Amino acid sequence: MFDLPEIPYLLTLLIAIPLIGAITTLFMGGEKQKHARMTSIAFSAVTLVLAVYLMLSNDYGAYAESHTWIDTAGLKMSYMLAVDGLSILMVFLTALLLLVVSVFTFEQHDKPNYFFALLLAMEVGLMGVYLAADYFLFYIMWEVVLIPMYFMISWFGGPRRHYAAIKFFIYTHVASLVMLIGIFAIVFQAAAGGVADFSFAAVLAGSAAFSGVFQSLAFGLLFFGFAVKMPIVPFHTWLPDAHTEAPTAGSVLLAAVMLKMGSYGIIRVCLEVLPDGAVSWQAIMVVVALVAIVYGAYACIAQNDLKKMVAFSSVSHMGMVLLGIACLSEIGVMFAIFQMFAHGLITAVLFMTCGLAHDLYDTREIPLLGGLAAKTPIYATFMMFGFLASLGLPGLVGFWGEFGVIFGFYEYALSINMIWLIVFCLLSLLLTAGYYLWAIQRSMFGRLTTKLSDKVMSRIRDINKAEGIAMGIMCLMIAVFGLWPDLALSIISPYSSALIGVI
Amino acid sequence: MMFIEYTWLVPLIPAICFLIVGFFGNMFDKRHGGGFLAIAGVAVSCVLSVLISAEFFMSSAYVDVGYVAKSFTWFAFPGGFDINIGYYVDTLSCLMMMFASFISMLILIYSLGYMSEEGKRKQRYFAEVALFVTGMLGLAVSNNFLMMFIFWEVMGLCSYLLIGFWSFSHPEGDDASDNAASAAKKAFLVTRLGDVSLMAGLFILLFAFKSLDYTVVFDAASIAAVDHNLIVLASLLIFGGAIGKSAQFPLLDWLPDAMAGPTTVSALIHAATMVKAGVYLVARCFPIFTEASGVMLFVAVIGGFTAFFAATMAMNNMNIKKVLAYSTLSQLGYMFLALGAGGYMIAIGMESGNTALIAAGSVGYVAGCLHMVNHAFFKALLFLGSGSVIHSTGTEDMREMGGLESKMKVTSITMLIGSLSIAGFPFFAGFWSKDLILEQVLHAGDYGAAGWVFIVLWLLAVVTAFMTAFYMFRMWYMTFRGPMHKKSEHSHGESPRSMTIPLMVLSVFAFGFGFVLFFGFDSLLSIQIIGGQFRMGGMESGGAHYLVEFFTNVWTYVTIALVLLAIYLAKNMYELGKIDPARFNGDGESWLYKALTERWWFPQLYDQLSWKLGYGVARGVEFIDSNIIDGSVNGLSNAVAGSGELVSKAQTGDVNNYASAVIGGLIVLFVAVVALFVFMGGL
Amino acid sequence: MIPVEYFLALAAILFAIGAYGVMTKVNTILVLMSIELMLNAANINFVVFSGFLGDAMGQVFVLMVISVAAAEVAVGIAILLNAYKIKKTTEVTALTSMRW
Repeated sequence: MFDLPEIPYLLTLLIAIPLIGAITTLFMGGEKQKHARMTSIAFSAVTLVLAVYLMLSNDYGAYAESHTWIDTAGLKMSYMLAVDGLSILMVFLTALLLLVVSVFTFEQHDKPNYFFALLLAMEVGLMGVYLAADYFLFYIMWEVVLIPMYFMISWFGGPRRHYAAIKFFIYTHVASLVMLIGIFAIVFQAAAGGVADFSFAAVLAGSAAFSGVFQSLAFGLLFFGFAVKMPIVPFHTWLPDAHTEAPTAGSVLLAAVMLKMGSYGIIRVCLEVLPDGAVSWQAIMVVVALVAIVYGAYACIAQNDLKKMVAFSSVSHMGMVLLGIACLSEIGVMFAIFQMFAHGLITAVLFMTCGLAHDLYDTREIPLLGGLAAKTPIYATFMMFGFLASLGLPGLVGFWGEFGVIFGFYEYALSINMIWLIVFCLLSLLLTAGYYLWAIQRSMFGRLTTKLSDKVMSRIRDINKAEGIAMGIMCLMIAVFGLWPDLALSIISPYSSALIGVI
Repeated sequence: MMFIEYTWLVPLIPAICFLIVGFFGNMFDKRHGGGFLAIAGVAVSCVLSVLISAEFFMSSAYVDVGYVAKSFTWFAFPGGFDINIGYYVDTLSCLMMMFASFISMLILIYSLGYMSEEGKRKQRYFAEVALFVTGMLGLAVSNNFLMMFIFWEVMGLCSYLLIGFWSFSHPEGDDASDNAASAAKKAFLVTRLGDVSLMAGLFILLFAFKSLDYTVVFDAASIAAVDHNLIVLASLLIFGGAIGKSAQFPLLDWLPDAMAGPTTVSALIHAATMVKAGVYLVARCFPIFTEASGVMLFVAVIGGFTAFFAATMAMNNMNIKKVLAYSTLSQLGYMFLALGAGGYMIAIGMESGNTALIAAGSVGYVAGCLHMVNHAFFKALLFLGSGSVIHSTGTEDMREMGGLESKMKVTSITMLIGSLSIAGFPFFAGFWSKDLILEQVLHAGDYGAAGWVFIVLWLLAVVTAFMTAFYMFRMWYMTFRGPMHKKSEHSHGESPRSMTIPLMVLSVFAFGFGFVLFFGFDSLLSIQIIGGQFRMGGMESGGAHYLVEFFTNVWTYVTIALVLLAIYLAKNMYELGKIDPARFNGDGESWLYKALTERWWFPQLYDQLSWKLGYGVARGVEFIDSNIIDGSVNGLSNAVAGSGELVSKAQTGDVNNYASAVIGGLIVLFVAVVALFVFMGGL
Repeated sequence: MIPVEYFLALAAILFAIGAYGVMTKVNTILVLMSIELMLNAANINFVVFSGFLGDAMGQVFVLMVISVAAAEVAVGIAILLNAYKIKKTTEVTALTSMRW
């Protein structure tokens, strides 16, 4: 957008600063523990400033970095970083959320140095995934994200944290191994017997010679790996468990940016490198996406735990992302990316509010709550805002994602003469409104609950300043990008039009 | 173009008021929670819309094309789909802007008194009302469907928030809070059903026209270039949105429940905003709706049936607000009926090239719009009046009122004016528009293959006119005349000045607004089709000619006679007590009476449907999720762990067994090696 | 000269007896002794082949094996004594705490 002077090694800095931050916080044991949060805020604030600087720059291509890492007769792996219209929004989202989450986590008395170190370590991995331009680096960073999240759940989680952490780890790890096989397949196939260069550019160049059958097979492997991460029905069951057990900050990062790794991967790897595979898998992707959308929405209605409900709503909304991708059209992909971004913003607010329910009321069970808006009006307002944004109220960011994706899908449905398919999307819009309003009616409105103990009732507080600021920032973002979607769309559109040019 | 250029300010000013009041209302205005700012903002919008309208009607644009539109690109979808933002001023939007802002302003002034006991919550109330007004004004001035849809949804949100204003810590206790919360949810979800349908219509339009601007979609050339069937489908889907928003059959049940909100909110929803949006949408979409006469017939049938159906439920309701709610549904039905009949004639006229028929259809359009404005005035009046009564007596049940006339002079007289107007008593505002509607419906019966449907609808409408007069006067007599009951004896008397003044202002309009018909109103709203292109305004005014038409028509007198009969009946039953209502309903035991009190079992139907299709399926999905899908995941991991467990049993810990295994293994290996050698031909 | 097969047969029989002992005996001392039998069967083979082939290397190995066996018995008995202290038994069927 602006002609900003170039900062050398900016992309490396985006990874290195959180890394230094993570190490610094890690060693802040004992007396210095209480400064861990401020340290984390400082490091993530610097990262955010750099990320915003990067986002506002004109020429993303100028920031690409490349250093050879392993160079043998048969293999070539490099430390390559690059940024484009697809990844920049995710980078921004990651940096923003890390700061917000650090601000938000006001009361972390138990080993705060570990907690914030894990958060920053996650940022390292996430930045790495979104910035990597080399499959080997991409895979390493992919796994780097996994480990802090595992410890986050199993150290700081709820009562069933060990089960959830193990399930999360094994499930997603198995998926990433399948993805690794897919990566090997495309890398070695692209090398065609020569030096296997793991860089994105080399594989992309070699992909022109891929046969249709190979594309379909490799697409299948990679798609499975990414679909688990997104997650797509029926590979989603790790998500509700991980979310319910993870601490609030962990859930926020998990839902807002980690799930996006899956859809990012599908666009970055599957669509860019294997366009023919995408075409042959299109029908399956559409069906799976529609099932995920409706299934997730229905599952939400039956949930009693606020966080679990929001977790299933993520399944539904990420299904929307997949639907946009599956259209394989410019509108579809563009709004799928927008929906990724929008869902990241919105779901952060949702998990903050729903996670807070446990801090404020000692429970997240909807049947135990009721009428609490009278006691905690500001909290209820934020919850309402988050729910409305998520159900796609026009003027907020969620609406544009859904509107664009469904419009893209309408275009596709019309082209295959199955216009009735959009009924499923419309049904999900209705169901989404239904479960959110029902949930807030039961938990915040109506008569004041009598099911909480007097002890809990007497110490109910409204949200404090730190939490208010954190959620306020996110709500502001939701409104700004909702009223001015072009702010994000203008960044996405050069990428999406170039991508569709390939397909 | 002095003022028209600033049309965007009309919705923006209330929006800014919403932000200021919403965040800081209690800070700068402790007593009213920022109410004065909201009133000032809406008043500015009102003045501005009057100025804009005046300028527009005097401008050359009105004479030339009938609208002024300005459009800026907001952003673009790839593939040449432009999403624009801008304003569109024509007679319809001027009309909407003026009456919506004017009535909202009066309601806000009234709220100062009505909501005075709400304490700190007034801030929220005034902010939400300001946003509501933003929604309605934005809807009126939008220049494209998407922008219109955004404001449309903003209104849906505000109705949700305001109906649920007391959804926690209700002054009347827990049951009332529960009730408000579920009514708010129902309102949002049922209208959302319509909104989703509207959204589907927008997809079709956007894809077909590559733009959602009114100037593009309503352009004759671009309509001609689009598949006719798609336009019909889009029209029906868009009408689905109107059905939801205007609470027409079968999505009508949310509106009576919405009475759980403050009475001022009901007035706002019923008179100035929300439900009028659906009528506006149909009126706005005439150029595409009239592409098929079947669509317009459908509109008319839904409207005519709702008019009748809702009126039946008002006949025996004891809640003063609910009676008014049903009357709103019924009157909205009239509006759709008028638009449908007019559109039907226009559609047939366009097919056959019959200009006279198009001119006749245009009168139907005028009748619908006039009724919309008239209804806004008298319904606001009636709701605010009932609010005044409720404020004073503290109950909504008409059986506990009675004889209030002596205690509440102003309220009773203004309510009487409103009731006469809605009942269609001669020379009151409602009379003109209702009679014009009846006449148009009967007229539409002469044309096309489906003409007989309009005759049936006309009969229904006449019966509805009778019922309207009856239930309105039943309400009035039960409240203000007859014996005093417990609550009215203890009433606080007349309401404060801030509440009665809006009533008086509204009653002037409720009486006199109908006369605009004779002063060129029909010319401003008339529809002409010039070279296939729709154009609003500019046709010669019928003027006093309507008077002749009305009073030379025998059916007019029949309707007047029915209305008078109904009033007489109501007086005898509820004031004088000469006729016992129990004679007609078998002491409340007849099936019809029960059907009406149960609202024709509509709420149960809704509940059952949503329970079965929503929660029932959800339980099934949840079962599949936790048992089959997650079950197979856990099953797989259990299978791995279990087989490991099983194999580990071989680890007995007994040295003897290990030794046996080693030696046994050795022997097997030895035999195998030897066998291999033999097989390979060695040894 | 006694044919070499006789020695080999003796060694095989000794080995079989040892193996049988290891597999069946419950007393740990007896198991250790059976292991000694098996080791000595191997030693006999070493010596026999050493004589048969005229290579002294085999006899060197025997010395090596004997010393290792001595060390092994020393360690084995020491473990056994400790186990006996804790469990009050030397039966291998009772010393199964390292299974699954």
